[in-house]
Amino acid sequence: MQEFDVVVVGGGAAGLRAAIAAKQAGAKVALLSKVHPLRTNTALAQGGINAPLGADDSPEAYAGDILAAGDGLCDPAVVQSFALAAADAVMWLERMGTPFNRGADGRFDRRRFGSNSRARSLYVDDRTGHVVMQVLYEQFQRAGIPLFADWFVTSLVIDSARCVGVTALGLRSGTMDGFAARAVILATGGFTRMYLPSTVSMGTTGDGQNLAYQAGVPLMNLEMVQFHPLVYPGGNALMISEAVLAEGGQIVAGGQPIANLAGATRDKICMAIQQAARDGAAVALDLTMIGGQRLRARFPQTVELLRTVAGLDATKDSIPIRPVAHRPVGGIETTIAGQTPMHGLFACGECACNGLNGAGRLAGNILTEAVVFGARAGEAAAAYAKAASAPSFPAERLEEEKKRLEALVSTDKCEDTAGHIHAELGALMDRNAGAIRDAAGLQAARDRIHALKERYARLRVRNQSAIYNYDLVAYLELGSMLNLAEALVVAAAARKESRGAHRRSDFPARDDRTGISHTVVTMVQGAPQADTRAVVAL
Amino acid sequence: MQAKFSVYRKEPGAHSKPGRSTYTVELADDATVMDALLKIRDEQDPTLGFRGSCLHGYCGDCTVRVNGKAAFSCTARVAPLAAKGGEIAVEPIRNMPVVKDLISDWDAFLWEKIDSTKPWMEPKDADGAAEPQIDDKLMARVRQAMSCNYCGLCDEGCTVLPVDFKFVGPAALTKASRFLFDPRDQATAERLRILERPKGMWDCVHCFEASEHCPREIAPTERIVEMRDEAFKRGITNEKVARHHLSFAASVKRSGWLDEGRLAIESEGLTNVSGLMKLLPTAAKAIARGKAPIPYLHPKRPGADRIARIIEKAEAKEK
Repeated sequence: MQEFDVVVVGGGAAGLRAAIAAKQAGAKVALLSKVHPLRTNTALAQGGINAPLGADDSPEAYAGDILAAGDGLCDPAVVQSFALAAADAVMWLERMGTPFNRGADGRFDRRRFGSNSRARSLYVDDRTGHVVMQVLYEQFQRAGIPLFADWFVTSLVIDSARCVGVTALGLRSGTMDGFAARAVILATGGFTRMYLPSTVSMGTTGDGQNLAYQAGVPLMNLEMVQFHPLVYPGGNALMISEAVLAEGGQIVAGGQPIANLAGATRDKICMAIQQAARDGAAVALDLTMIGGQRLRARFPQTVELLRTVAGLDATKDSIPIRPVAHRPVGGIETTIAGQTPMHGLFACGECACNGLNGAGRLAGNILTEAVVFGARAGEAAAAYAKAASAPSFPAERLEEEKKRLEALVSTDKCEDTAGHIHAELGALMDRNAGAIRDAAGLQAARDRIHALKERYARLRVRNQSAIYNYDLVAYLELGSMLNLAEALVVAAAARKESRGAHRRSDFPARDDRTGISHTVVTMVQGAPQADTRAVVAL
Repeated sequence: MQAKFSVYRKEPGAHSKPGRSTYTVELADDATVMDALLKIRDEQDPTLGFRGSCLHGYCGDCTVRVNGKAAFSCTARVAPLAAKGGEIAVEPIRNMPVVKDLISDWDAFLWEKIDSTKPWMEPKDADGAAEPQIDDKLMARVRQAMSCNYCGLCDEGCTVLPVDFKFVGPAALTKASRFLFDPRDQATAERLRILERPKGMWDCVHCFEASEHCPREIAPTERIVEMRDEAFKRGITNEKVARHHLSFAASVKRSGWLDEGRLAIESEGLTNVSGLMKLLPTAAKAIARGKAPIPYLHPKRPGADRIARIIEKAEAKEK
């Protein structure tokens, strides 16, 4: 058993930033991550990081764009506070050594990205997330925070309605340990691996959301899932940053450019592509007008990966594309400081939902959110830990959790596999809970997920070896995805309108009489229950 | 498409003997080696150990050797390999201890080596609010070093690590080079002093294998050479190897060729008595075989003045 003031779960951008902030606030901190921080899904964020730093820009203009992308569902007070904090949070990254691209005058070069009304996305070539992640990890190391990499958190430990720590499995040692904490911060990233195809890393399976959900914490706006419009669907689905559109790239259907997409929100671009595909046109991305030299200079990674993965020369060939599940907009319900309704439990980054994004996220905001709200959650958790009593981690919990995991392992013959269930779930979610949904499809999805969960309950882990038991990890991750998929489908069925990222073919219009409230799903007696939460007006 | 794989296996523990398992898998035409490994673990052998994360060639976690060639299993396509017929061999990358099967010991091989180099910025101005103006040419060099995705292939190609695992290696040196030209950092001198120690930057033999192996064209060997140059410029030259380089250059400038005896003595340091004593057996053997270079009695070669002028020109350019 180890004891800390603050335990952070998840080593991506939000978790690293939270850990640094908590440490700077005087807390004794540890960070647990199922993959090394330099292997997290943060590396996949390409295009940029928003901050209203331009002379033509302001926090007010930035807030206006966030509210527009959120399609009437943002909490304005959260948006205002975030827009005011963004510039400082991104400047902090600059001070700590992020090599943002600069113009001839040595000042930040900024991209106009997605539906931003200004050029406000700072960027590092087409590797913004990869580089920001490294800078955050550098500062995490500088702060001297203990890292438990390759540690998989298996449960939250709750005592008297307060989270007092976690149990975790060390994948390398094969041993379970308890981590007592005065405060726990979940920063486990998204969950869109439940969709196939998907743009995200293998481990983006919503483990943190599932831990909170099972502990009775509500999940908010789960129905809002962003699809990325520019994905080469072959192989493992290769995402191309929308920044290419700002640089002159074009989406073409049947050889003709699709009109009116300049500055459109992500969901509008997805709709246009989906519509064209339904009309029978081959949809492709044409980057040739950017020019070979400029393309290679500005998007080196994109050019390299299209060559290796798709065998395409982006400077000459057109690239087949389709919208693919990308990032959740919703997640664990929190306050602006990252506090969940559970005492001692905080959440930040992509796994959390604090009302900033409403029904859709502005392009280029994901990394800004990670650093702004990561820092706030870290500070809030450290303050909570200072005031809180010592955690009373029930000694028997660790033994119980060991027994639970041991009971999953069996060599009995079983034809079914985690991979098969995941493949079926992924195709189901893409088809029935994808960019366009309807009541019948969502009900069918719910029934089918129910059946998949029954199969999952009979499934066993067949690898008996303790060390690097990825068979067990895949099993646990699948459990997270099934639970969240069920909650997502319930949330999507409950919202009988189309808004932001949520598009219903049976309710194609936005309905402000019923729609301006957050959807929350809570686990009640093992089943998801949908409710609403008022949008907090300014 | 059907493909047959021969996969390296090793149980955890120093004494376990490595072996191989073969698997035949049915795959989609555009499948990658990662798809195959996932399918094998899911359907045939749940004990198979391998790593992976991003699935798109960004993160470097899944680096393996496929048919003897280093590759990211998540971007390596199976079809062209299967088309050749025969088994597709999948092995861990070289030079690295194996924990289990294809899972190499990244801790010992990479992360701990990087940790030893003070791999973070000590900002000069941590709290400043104004937007600093920095030449993008400097930032481009930083970006190049930071495009590294820690795949380990430069270390895999390194010719020093197989003989001395304690060498910090090109990946860690590339990471350290990221700070070298960043005007915002104030720990560069301290970092260079860490790296001038034994097993640091001077243990690189500049064979250029690291640069050959880097899939991102970061050219780690060139980064190491830059780092040495910077160390010289900053006067961080008290290390034996630095003396070796200075003596080497001085000798060629003086006579047009290398004064080997003098190089040996000056590399050890004129006041380093124990170091000089260590040279005696080698010197004695060389004398016995009539091959002893007599230090300091070193005639100029024809054309030496022209060589000296070239060096002077280069030195002027450096300044």
